Amino acid sequence: MPQQLAIIVLVDVGSALESESLEGNTYLFDNMKLQGSTGQGTGELVTAINGSYWRDGSQASEQVLNWLPYSLGSIPPTVPRGYEADRARQSDEQALAALQDLASKSSVPGTDQSEQLSQVRKTVGARVKTTRRTSGRLSGQKILDVTGKVVTEDNTAAYTYPAPVITDIYGEAVDSKIMYPAEYGSPDLVTDGWYWSATVDTSRPGTYSYVMRIQLHKLVGLNGELRWEAVNLTCPSALKITSEPRRNAFTKAGMGMLPIPPGAGTRPGTP
Amino acid sequence: MTTTTTTPRRRENNTGRRPVSITAVVDCVGALAAGNMQGHLYMYDTNKSAGSTGFGTEELQTRARKGDQLLWNALALECEAYVAIDGIEIDSSICVPERKVYPGTDVAYWIGTVKKDVANVTYRMKFKLGTRDEPIATTLSSSLVG
Repeated sequence: MPQQLAIIVLVDVGSALESESLEGNTYLFDNMKLQGSTGQGTGELVTAINGSYWRDGSQASEQVLNWLPYSLGSIPPTVPRGYEADRARQSDEQALAALQDLASKSSVPGTDQSEQLSQVRKTVGARVKTTRRTSGRLSGQKILDVTGKVVTEDNTAAYTYPAPVITDIYGEAVDSKIMYPAEYGSPDLVTDGWYWSATVDTSRPGTYSYVMRIQLHKLVGLNGELRWEAVNLTCPSALKITSEPRRNAFTKAGMGMLPIPPGAGTRPGTP
Repeated sequence: MTTTTTTPRRRENNTGRRPVSITAVVDCVGALAAGNMQGHLYMYDTNKSAGSTGFGTEELQTRARKGDQLLWNALALECEAYVAIDGIEIDSSICVPERKVYPGTDVAYWIGTVKKDVANVTYRMKFKLGTRDEPIATTLSSSLVG
């Protein structure tokens, strides 16, 4: 029974947004180098899918693929789920505490309130403006830098890009009914609750191309407000399907009963 | 005849400049099975537009200049696997990477500032993988280039 395969789509989001293309800015991995995949860690990954068939020629194993899009150089996907929201809340709490402190000190003469207020402002950070059109996963959150600190409006240069989002998988492999991709909800910690998955028909060997539509997000300042603007790009890849007769993985022979050495069923000591 | 001298513009103040992120993608299972990193490590950075080369190899050449902040982190090919950077050995007159964690988590990154412009300096990374106690060091070295 083959395992589920994960295809990591690592995107250099900054470069991709700059050149408005995923070409040369996307690195794909499926970790199946030993099984015949080629182009690991490049944009030219060909995923090997080794299927098998029964004696009558029918498909004996289908392959399940999962896609995991990551952003290169951003806060890694291993931080707890909802990390941005947690950080936003923590910075709010810190700012409130600082304000309270400031209020209690306000009666003391000689305190520089404007300096302290600007400090509080830094603690609060910048929140992304939400409109009806942009509401969703990134709305209302604060902007974090690549080290997990909240950033302020005037210092957004080091902000971390949100992970890319796959919005569709299509192309030859889908059109010719080789794979059936769909997006699923998941309690998985690393995929933010959603992931794309597909089952692959391994009964028709060949190389089939497919295309991922990937959404990136660009931070845009407009009328003094910050917004994540969606940028839709595409990235091609391919599956190489092979199929061989179903065989016993232990004996390398055909399917049948496992070879049992004579006397294996008897207990030691019994006549 | 008058000679005009132009002083190159220098950016001493690097606040607000994006750090250069260097990401090590590790095939944890492959490296543990082999007991070394060769063929199981893919290095990338976010400075391609400035001229970094060697993407996806173990010999990444990151274009870096004085004042740049460098941030290293690691990513496992299997999301269940544990991969962490255990150390970065680099000439301390050029950069002293420090281990830090993303606030409120135990997920670590390494960060350091390039102290002076360099022609080419290699560095060695050590990784903690899975439940293995002994860290595994890189066989081939990535480098910073000027």
